[in-house]
Amino acid sequence: MDWQLLGLAFVTVFISELGDKSQLAAIAISGGSHSPKAVFWGASAALLLASFLGVMLGEGTAQILPAHVVKIVAAIGFAIMSVRLLLPSTAD
Amino acid sequence: MEPVLSASSVSSLPVLDTETLDAATARSPEVLATSEPALLIEEEVAATATTTADTAPQGHQNSFWKIFSSTFITIFLAEIGDKTQVSTLLMSAEFHQPWVVFAGAGTALVATTLIGVWVGQWLSSRLSPRTLDIAAGILLALISASLVWDVLQM
Repeated sequence: MDWQLLGLAFVTVFISELGDKSQLAAIAISGGSHSPKAVFWGASAALLLASFLGVMLGEGTAQILPAHVVKIVAAIGFAIMSVRLLLPSTAD
Repeated sequence: MEPVLSASSVSSLPVLDTETLDAATARSPEVLATSEPALLIEEEVAATATTTADTAPQGHQNSFWKIFSSTFITIFLAEIGDKTQVSTLLMSAEFHQPWVVFAGAGTALVATTLIGVWVGQWLSSRLSPRTLDIAAGILLALISASLVWDVLQM
């Protein structure tokens, strides 16, 4: 095991993720929901899968999942969550 | 007319008035603090009772998977092609040890998520549910807008 590389990967990702949108999303979703565990597992699984694909497929990810389509779908998803929180809800 | 009248009555009975005022100011936040959450809790209980009356044991399980899947899908899609993914990609390309890079990046991501969820829960214990919903809603709207901005910049 290359501990130096492990540390480098950890520190790089940790610093770049602090205060980044996925962490802000985790704060917002867990604050607005009643199940922090679900948010933690959901967000962790998503991030692990995204970085797994990044590491294993490398540049290939962009061909399988075109970045702007994916980002627009994510934007729509966040917008829906946002609207559901902002409108006085009877659902949930 | 009224303000003058009340001002004169205050000055004529200073001791009594400050006492009652003090008592009122001391009690009112307490009354507010106890009555408002109670109302909110009642509303919440009423809402959950009506929606999950017939599926009470499955309610928790359902909401877990609903929250899990919506969190998973949005964060996964938002993170694809993001700078973190690009940096892990570059590191694994440079050092030819994808599993080590994945282990380091993975633990970092789980750690930042844990911090994020912890901060969210801490905030939810401090703010009223309505304030929190509005703040979370605005934050998610901003994230959504920043993703649209990213796409426009591509």
